[in-house]
Amino acid sequence: MSTDRRGEREPRTTGRSVVVLSDDVRGDRDAIAAALRSLPGVTSVVGAADYRAGGLDLDAPGRRRAIAFDTLGIAVVALDPVVLSASVGSAGAQRPPIVAVEPERVMYAIEAEPLPGVVPFADDEAFTWGLRATGADVADATGRGIRVAVLDTGMDLEHADFAGRAIASESFVAGAAARDGHGHGTHCIGTACGPAEPPSGRRYGVASEAEIFAGKVLSDAGSGSDASILAGVDWAITNGCGVISMSLGANVADVSTAYEAVGRRALEAGCLIVAAAGNNARRSAGDRGFVGRPANSPSIMAVAAVDADLRIAEFSAAANPVPGGQVDIAGPGVAVYSSWPMPRGNHTLSGTSMATPHVAGMAALWRQQTGATGQELWDVLVRAARELQLPADDAGAGLVQAPG
Amino acid sequence: MRRDVTVTVADSHAGDIDEVAERLRRAGMRVDGALGALGVITGSVDVARLAALGELPGVAAVEQQTGFQIAPPDADVQ
Repeated sequence: MSTDRRGEREPRTTGRSVVVLSDDVRGDRDAIAAALRSLPGVTSVVGAADYRAGGLDLDAPGRRRAIAFDTLGIAVVALDPVVLSASVGSAGAQRPPIVAVEPERVMYAIEAEPLPGVVPFADDEAFTWGLRATGADVADATGRGIRVAVLDTGMDLEHADFAGRAIASESFVAGAAARDGHGHGTHCIGTACGPAEPPSGRRYGVASEAEIFAGKVLSDAGSGSDASILAGVDWAITNGCGVISMSLGANVADVSTAYEAVGRRALEAGCLIVAAAGNNARRSAGDRGFVGRPANSPSIMAVAAVDADLRIAEFSAAANPVPGGQVDIAGPGVAVYSSWPMPRGNHTLSGTSMATPHVAGMAALWRQQTGATGQELWDVLVRAARELQLPADDAGAGLVQAPG
Repeated sequence: MRRDVTVTVADSHAGDIDEVAERLRRAGMRVDGALGALGVITGSVDVARLAALGELPGVAAVEQQTGFQIAPPDADVQ
């Protein structure tokens, strides 16, 4: 049951009355109508069927109407409850079918409200809501000295927000340069590694001094396959990246032996791979989706998306029953402001793709601050996560947090 | 008909990826990438010869490649 956030300022009653009739007459249309017509001032009685048909105005001038809900044994009467109660008498003693008269109350739709104890986050002038919610806005660590690979559609290497940054880029898509002709890659890199002080607008990047490795493994049309993606992972590990962010997935439920081996071998090499849980849920329609490849590999960290009220996102995939198919952690993934190829410069998007680079950036901060790598870094992230009032198969250990 | 495949090299052969790749070539696979840091080999093979690859020494698994597709740039959910 939700609490009423509207406080005391709203009108609570309508000025009309609810009349409760005895069980003896419930369902007896004629008896109910007779009882209602006997009330002083009631000039007409209509049934619920007339009400449903529409066009019925209970408060029409010159009328004193009652609407009878015969099967409920209830009626709503357009008379003030104080006046009506007085005329009916105490407990309806003089009019036996009437048991009680109550003021009709105003009901409100139950709105989506913050969970108890949760203050909703919002973008402000200085920071995105995601940086606020994860403590990245106040973290001392910057990711300096840590190499973060984002394997995606590439990057806008001319973006003004990244001028002067150390960026290594490589394309694993045949016939294409690392330049981002889609936008997705530039957005994800912005979240993971965007600057502490962008030339304009609020800050959106987590690990502002990490070294960026932008691997293009998806075409400008957004497609890719194992050959390009695994080549990108190999490149990142060979170059000593401590974290690999992959905001990509396929709606395949069973685990790939190759990705599982790759995740495990990466961890052994001191590299943590994080991947998007997937956007295949339609929660409002009762479909919670499932974590697909490659995030369903036990050795790859699966990232769910939450919104600024710390609720699970409509689209965010839930755990998949295969071993390793669980959601491991959650990140900010609804209405995420980040970089976008010039000239537009910035864009706000939603998806587990946006949650994933938050976790990747946070992993870089933790690695810098604690020296933890691989599986140890995984464990640090999970232990530090903020517990959410959400099922673990939706949000794993909770919302990723920056080191304090 | 050819299929794009991903071959996982067994842990026991982690240091011998070039050797395993050569074995795969001799068995009819076109090797596109031998990824030493991962112990994974990507390429393609005729479907008739696919099953035989899994029997080769040093091969832990042979899988058809997974295709990935993200949403177009103008989609709200990415």
